[in-house]
Amino acid sequence: MNDSNIFMLISSFLRSLLSPLLGNDATDLSIYVVGLVGVIIVVFTNAVILVLMERKVAGFMQSRLGPNRVGPWGILQTVADTLKLLSKEDYQPREVDKWVWALAPALLFIPALGAYAVIPFDNQAVPVDLNIGIFYFIALSSLSTLPFLMAGWGSNNKYSMLGGMRAVAQMISYEIPLIFSILGVIMLVGSLQMSSIVEAQSKVWFVLLQPVAFVIYVIAATAETNRTPFDLVECEGEIVAGPFTEYSGMRWSMFFLAEYANLFAVSAIATTLFLGGWQPLPLPGALGDILQFIPGWIWFAAKTYFMIFVFMWFRWTFPRFRMDQLMSFGWKVLLPLSLANILITGVGIYFYRVMIGG
Amino acid sequence: MQGIGLLKGMFVTIQEFFRKPVTEEYPDVMPDLGDRFRGGTIKLKTSKCISCGICMNSCPNGSIKLTSVRDENNKRHLSTYVHDSGLCLYCNLCIESCPVKCIDWTNEFAFSGYSREDLIFDCIDLAKKRGYDVPEVKATPEAGEKG
Repeated sequence: MNDSNIFMLISSFLRSLLSPLLGNDATDLSIYVVGLVGVIIVVFTNAVILVLMERKVAGFMQSRLGPNRVGPWGILQTVADTLKLLSKEDYQPREVDKWVWALAPALLFIPALGAYAVIPFDNQAVPVDLNIGIFYFIALSSLSTLPFLMAGWGSNNKYSMLGGMRAVAQMISYEIPLIFSILGVIMLVGSLQMSSIVEAQSKVWFVLLQPVAFVIYVIAATAETNRTPFDLVECEGEIVAGPFTEYSGMRWSMFFLAEYANLFAVSAIATTLFLGGWQPLPLPGALGDILQFIPGWIWFAAKTYFMIFVFMWFRWTFPRFRMDQLMSFGWKVLLPLSLANILITGVGIYFYRVMIGG
Repeated sequence: MQGIGLLKGMFVTIQEFFRKPVTEEYPDVMPDLGDRFRGGTIKLKTSKCISCGICMNSCPNGSIKLTSVRDENNKRHLSTYVHDSGLCLYCNLCIESCPVKCIDWTNEFAFSGYSREDLIFDCIDLAKKRGYDVPEVKATPEAGEKG
């Protein structure tokens, strides 16, 4: 692996600049602040790109052109959308529970942003490389259930309430197979740290060793991010827009931003756990050496965007589940499957150890 | 096997993804209207017209008004030819009945005006402006046009 990448260079440059002025502790703190700013930039830029990408992918999959009026190839469409949302009136319905209603979009954004702390963007370029990284991600992602319920309850609207209840039922049910599928990978690595999970995949990606876990993860992650075919929470055909019904303008766009931030986060976690993170394609021979020269963050971005494309592909292919189908699929199919996967992984690890005589 | 339909569906959508879009980019690109389209105003070839007035007589709404003058050989010459597209119902009777096939549709389906007078077109003037009189080699309307 190349030890110096662009993030390392920036970090060491900042350190050499700041440490004579501030001392070591303050320098560490300011490096974290720089990381946070970087993550926020990544989140917002991604939201801008993903809104356009979603609409373009939707267009292409329906043999349309997608947005193409604003700017060349519709590139400025998101800018126009954002300006429109910013200039809208901040309307608050009379009967809403003011605090709960107003806090929900902001609170939803916090776990979405916090999850980025443990995503390994490149070699040694994890904002905070916790030794319980994936555990932290799971803990934070389960927090995003509550703001949905808050939005649903606070809106004082029966459809929003239904949507909020659905969010709780769905996200809690699908969290269990999600975590169990991650567990298979953790058993192989023996560590919860994101950087060591990536390091462990230098020879073979875990998507080959844990294909069932990967499929379960992708399905459960689709449900976690409330995207079609699991968008029972929003479900515009039945319950208007679920918890988002009473929101408009920037408040509504916070939900949207959080959705895309979550989408990127789960795709990045899928990349990290199953697709080798920032590591290049493990090919033998000269081709593998050539692939080493591509920077890690490009590999990471390419794999993550591929996963995002897969999620979009799902969205524009599959029709929505019914609520009872959703629950029975989660509890009766995904959960036993993920448990069986854990069992088989454990047995496999045992036999592997017996074989190598460990 | 259960779940194979999901893969089939995803295969269909990825095929659509790489297919050429079917969108008609109308204001940028004129759509292909086809030979049997009826619309716009009347494209008149003044040199071919024999001023017989059959088009005027066949019009059910009286949207075509033409006048002619006779020369010393007692031959008619077109002096005015006005098409009121506000009255026209685009039935195609005038064009079918023309014995010398000197009128046709311009296919400009998108015109509008602030008053009714804006929808009245002087076809001789139009032909002069746009050069419809230039003899063009064009395939004649196929069979099946006949009523």
